Amino acid sequence: MASRGGGRGRGRGQLTFNVEAVGIGKGDALPPPTLQPSPLFPPLEFRPVPLPSGEEGEYVLALKQELRGAMRQLPYFIRPAVPKRDWRRLPRELKIRVRKLQKERITILLPKRPPKTTEDKEETIQKLETLEKKEEEVTSEEDEEKEGEEEKEEEEEEEYDEEEHEEETDYIMSYFDNGEDFGGDSDDNMDEAIY
Amino acid sequence: MTQAEIKLCSLLLQEHFGEIVEKIGVHLIRTGSQSLRVIAHDTGTSLDQVKKALCVLVQHNLVSYQVHKRGVVEYEAQCSRVLRMLRYPRYIYTTKTLYSDTGELIVEELLLNGKLTMSAVVKKVADRLTETMEDGKTMDYAEVSNTFVRLADTHFVQRCPSVPTTENSDPGPPPPAPTLVINEKDMYLVPKLSLIGKGKRRRSSDEDAAGEPKAKRPKYTTDNKEPIPDDGIYWQANLDRFHQHFRDQAIVSAVANRMDQTSSEIVRTMLRMSEITTSSSAPFTQPLSSNEIFRSLPVGYNISKQVLDQYLTLLADDPLEFVGKSGDSGGGMYVINLHKALASLATATLESVVQERFGSRCARIFRLVLQKKHIEQKQVEDFAMIPAKEAKDMLYKMLSENFMSLQEIPKTPDHAPSRTFYLYTVTILSAARMLLHRCYKSIANLIERRQFETKENKRLLEKSQRVEAIIASMQATGAEEAQLQEIEEMITAPERQQLETLKRNVNKLDASEIQVDETIFLLESYIECTMKRQ
Repeated sequence: MASRGGGRGRGRGQLTFNVEAVGIGKGDALPPPTLQPSPLFPPLEFRPVPLPSGEEGEYVLALKQELRGAMRQLPYFIRPAVPKRDWRRLPRELKIRVRKLQKERITILLPKRPPKTTEDKEETIQKLETLEKKEEEVTSEEDEEKEGEEEKEEEEEEEYDEEEHEEETDYIMSYFDNGEDFGGDSDDNMDEAIY
Repeated sequence: MTQAEIKLCSLLLQEHFGEIVEKIGVHLIRTGSQSLRVIAHDTGTSLDQVKKALCVLVQHNLVSYQVHKRGVVEYEAQCSRVLRMLRYPRYIYTTKTLYSDTGELIVEELLLNGKLTMSAVVKKVADRLTETMEDGKTMDYAEVSNTFVRLADTHFVQRCPSVPTTENSDPGPPPPAPTLVINEKDMYLVPKLSLIGKGKRRRSSDEDAAGEPKAKRPKYTTDNKEPIPDDGIYWQANLDRFHQHFRDQAIVSAVANRMDQTSSEIVRTMLRMSEITTSSSAPFTQPLSSNEIFRSLPVGYNISKQVLDQYLTLLADDPLEFVGKSGDSGGGMYVINLHKALASLATATLESVVQERFGSRCARIFRLVLQKKHIEQKQVEDFAMIPAKEAKDMLYKMLSENFMSLQEIPKTPDHAPSRTFYLYTVTILSAARMLLHRCYKSIANLIERRQFETKENKRLLEKSQRVEAIIASMQATGAEEAQLQEIEEMITAPERQQLETLKRNVNKLDASEIQVDETIFLLESYIECTMKRQ
């Protein structure tokens, strides 16, 4: 208290160490105070050394870019799944192939039967619906094979639903595709620029 | 795991495996080992997706699993292994220099798929090579197998741990996850396969049974009806061996830079002779006698025994101490001091960074402090022969960037600053760690910038790709020059300019990543060997 007041009176800027050792001589102006954080991109005093060029460098560079592109095409690159759509709002025909498990598949290829009045009405209606869908799916499958074109949406839906229900393999079914729909596979916003 | 490392891992996983794998992988790196349900719950992803992501990660050796008590399987991520993905191009290029195209493709397939059986590798590589050959020629499986065997003999590829063959007397239910074991002797044992066939040239390649997870059986959808003979024996690339090779390369080139070509050849011979006999983490190689070295020199080098002895003496006397003399029998026993060599390389890296960042005077001060170990500020000015003000400025700059540190030696018990010695010192280990951390940040920045640049010009890139596709298809169907010209003009000149700039920038960023990775390798090797020693 007393000493601090005394210090102020005696001389300005008295610090605990010898200020000359730091490099600020007597009478020199103190360096300007820092009022803001250092700039994000401070100007470079020295330019960086040029990158190695030549055959080896270029080959490794090309290899790196190729690898990046190749890895995107491998099955290990998992694309985010398509979001669920609200089917009440869309026409029924757009919903494709809710493929049930293997067991139920055997029963699907039955022709349409009139609803049995003895059984529970709801059950039969549901069965009818699935049968309808299966028929649709079977016919639409045939259609597709004839046309050879597939809508992108359907493709994705198929992927998504199959992934949900077929638990046998670890691969999405399109992994075993024979390349028919190459190029039209997914419309996710992926970086197509592979340099 | 530092934040910088986690960020870099996240970028790498996202680029190579997609966002879902990235989310799971980063979560595991951050939180350590966890079980499946906990991961799904914490990350908020559906169980299916978590399962798929974990399959991919385990397949690529990025995540390992362990069965804990009560049958819970816990997954743990290996952060350092994820960072190795930066180095894949270097591994592949090294194999190309050693074993030409066949070896290159083998290692590439192994790295891209994580693990593969030998037959799968051979088939894929043969197919790929056949596609690049002229029409009518095919690549024989035998040749590819031979290269594979050579790679296994020199330990560049190794067997993955496999499911232990339990006898059928085990009555209990199978464990939730197999505990994989590998016998040291079997690690490089190539199974006796008679792979007969030639590569197939097909546009829509029928890639069956590639890189399946260990616990499942392979599924065949096309040709092969009979089971493959080496079912269950999976191979992976042996990254440690590659690292050993890189280290040897670095030492040889350092010697070549410091002395001359002949001495570097001698060092290379010594390293080659101790490749298999010395483990990768040994502090120095096995002692080699001068006679042995003389006999093993490459054929082109006909230097006499005396000249060799002179070179060896010169190398042993060098202050860098790459080569040391450990005895006199057999014409002189010489070893290569691997740890000392790595330390010298790390120090040289630090010096070079200081020089490029702060200037050659700073570098002089840095080397001075390194040499003197602990030195006072006043002495720095005297020894370095640099004016006081500048010397102080440089010292403080390096201090603030953590290349140097201060050691306080108080004269009085109250540590009064005016009565304390302040000594500047450089601890290589901590400076190396600091630099390594900076390298991780740099690469993360480089990747981000590259992604940003690509995203900015996405529209233009897509357009140019479409135009190229159109041109290619038109050329295939035989179009006239005028039509091609017209299509090409769809991309205007300024757009072409923009594309050129983009390509140049992306190339530069990629090349920088590769360069920084080389520094990372040196620093990591040094830190690793120093930590082992302590």
